[in-house]
Amino acid sequence: MKRTNAIWSTDLERVTSIVLRYMRTPILLLIVISAVTILGMVMIPGQPVNGEPSHMSFFHALYFLTYTATTTGFGEIPIEFSDAQRLWAMFSLFISVVAWVYAIGSIFGLIQNPFFQRALAQRRFSLDVSRIKGSFYVLCGFGDTGSLLTRGLSDAGYTVTVIDNDPVRIEALSLRDYPVTMPGLCADAGVPRRLIAAGLEMPNCRGVVAVTGDEGINRKIAVMAHLINPKVCTVCRSTSPVEEEFLASLGTVTVVDPFDTFSHQLSLALHRPSVHTLGQWLVGARGVTLDAPLRPPIGIWIVCGFGRMGRSLHLSMKACGVPTKVIDPRVQGESTAEGYVVGHANARTLREAGVERAVGIVAATNSDSNNLGILLTARALNPRLFLLARQNRHDDEVAFQSIGADLVMQPSLVTARRMLFLLVSPMIHAFLEFLQEARVSLVVDTLRRLNEAVGDERPELWTEIISAELGQERAALKAKGFDLILGDLLRDTRDREQSVACVALVLKRWKQTSFLPKGSEVLQQGDQILFCGTVRARRQITVTLNDPYIREYLITGTEEARGLLAKWLLESWRRRQRMAVS
Amino acid sequence: MNLEKVIFGFFIVLALTLNFGFVYGEIDQPHHHPALELFAAIVVNMMATGVKLGDRSQVGAVLLATSLVADLQLIAAALVWTMAVHVTQTGMQPSVMASIVSLAAGAVLANIVSVVMLVMDTMMLRR
Repeated sequence: MKRTNAIWSTDLERVTSIVLRYMRTPILLLIVISAVTILGMVMIPGQPVNGEPSHMSFFHALYFLTYTATTTGFGEIPIEFSDAQRLWAMFSLFISVVAWVYAIGSIFGLIQNPFFQRALAQRRFSLDVSRIKGSFYVLCGFGDTGSLLTRGLSDAGYTVTVIDNDPVRIEALSLRDYPVTMPGLCADAGVPRRLIAAGLEMPNCRGVVAVTGDEGINRKIAVMAHLINPKVCTVCRSTSPVEEEFLASLGTVTVVDPFDTFSHQLSLALHRPSVHTLGQWLVGARGVTLDAPLRPPIGIWIVCGFGRMGRSLHLSMKACGVPTKVIDPRVQGESTAEGYVVGHANARTLREAGVERAVGIVAATNSDSNNLGILLTARALNPRLFLLARQNRHDDEVAFQSIGADLVMQPSLVTARRMLFLLVSPMIHAFLEFLQEARVSLVVDTLRRLNEAVGDERPELWTEIISAELGQERAALKAKGFDLILGDLLRDTRDREQSVACVALVLKRWKQTSFLPKGSEVLQQGDQILFCGTVRARRQITVTLNDPYIREYLITGTEEARGLLAKWLLESWRRRQRMAVS
Repeated sequence: MNLEKVIFGFFIVLALTLNFGFVYGEIDQPHHHPALELFAAIVVNMMATGVKLGDRSQVGAVLLATSLVADLQLIAAALVWTMAVHVTQTGMQPSVMASIVSLAAGAVLANIVSVVMLVMDTMMLRR
């Protein structure tokens, strides 16, 4: 914290010292010119009074100058001027007006000075950062991925401090409607001072995200964040496997490869469509429902574009045993291999690749216009094709929607979602990974349960922690022959035979994580449970976990007396009952 | 030799000497303390303040502070003068002159501190 303060004060120092140095010459000039003109007015003899030439006092001379130099002009006071004084007044007027114009011009020049403005912006940024109360993340790079991440983090209730070297993007940041102000600074994020100014050393800084367009800078940010504050978690975007290995060895750094993530998601969409749909549905993607997961057909697929993305895609499809054909204009090592068509994707090359017999096409070039063109051509040649498109720019959404592609994937969105899961809810991330490996029947069953519980409503994901109070209650429950069981907490507060509309997805106890815990699971103090359900279910469970009487009713099925008198009466009535029985 | 240092030292010392010149004399004798000298002292003091602006060193900060104190004292003296002669019309009484001179004497102290600090700074540098 101490060093952070030092940074703020140097910011302030720099701003003041710039102002003072800039204003020194104009101030000195103003003083000299005022002194000369005032002295002249005092020395020059005025109209004679009682036969002797009068002299202006310093006070009157200063007064005269005040309204002359500012071109107000109140006339000649206290008595009419002599001609000599008038001559001097003319001279005073011209030089003092020039001095004033010069001083004001310097002030405007200073305001427009880019260095001064940058110093001011930095100072404002550090002030805004120091005022953040809750947890926050430092985001370096505010491109497509960065802005999606900011939106996601702000939805999850975090503040984000943004550093980007493009002033236009920082300007865009200030125009977005986030619930809290997201401080933004236009600077090179690769400079450690900037990261500290963005709050890296503050105790409530939770993590750093490096998603600038430059891989080298991303790596530098990850290393610096690790050095300056080893406690924060760092997520870094990188496409080179060498760097991934190097960064992963730092321990706190997680590397996200956009191409890898994208092709992984895509192969997931092809082979485990229900898991992919579930992932989409959980993050609240538009138009995704659980009752009809998209099922890509099985057969020959055509991949257009064999860059880093296409290659990674090709590999993962090959690994899953999907026969693929590749179309790419570049002649490469693989071009001699079977199923590689050299040339731009057009009607000829598509036919050559066997578009009539193919079941699906992936338009994976790095140009949206190319991808749209490929989809149009392919659909004209084979209307039954499954169209899968890579959307490179976030702005092109409308075009991809209107072309009617079956599945559109945005690398930036996929990357942002993965990072968001890693940062905000690692439990969901683990859950989805678990489902990818799970049996099909289990996935189908989970989907059915979630669909029954939530239906068409917007799914809500939240984590509850079993408090110490609940843990202590367990002993009392055990004495009565009950226990703290997950299924009991999920009973409806109005009718305990019904259960609330939610599903427990993950149970985390110490370091152990179990998925889809059963209703009979006995809970302990400190357990973390990830739920998915409706908004109403969330409210109900919060009530259950906070109200001991409702909990008692849900677990035992009997409503306890609350008042002391009622308690005593109930106790004595029960005692009498027991006596009668025995 | 550094021209900036010369100008700097010149204004600081001149501020002290002019200020002292105004204060010198019987404290309540108006004809020992001409208005012109007070005017010159004020102007040179303000110039000295202006010259010190923008110095980021520790010594520079203290010099600026002493200079501002001297300005404040002298301007207060000028205000007392103006009030007595032009506003309340009491005229230049010995008691008024005494309060003006004592205010200016305070400014002399501040200026002495300035000069002492300037000398010390120069000695420390040994260049």
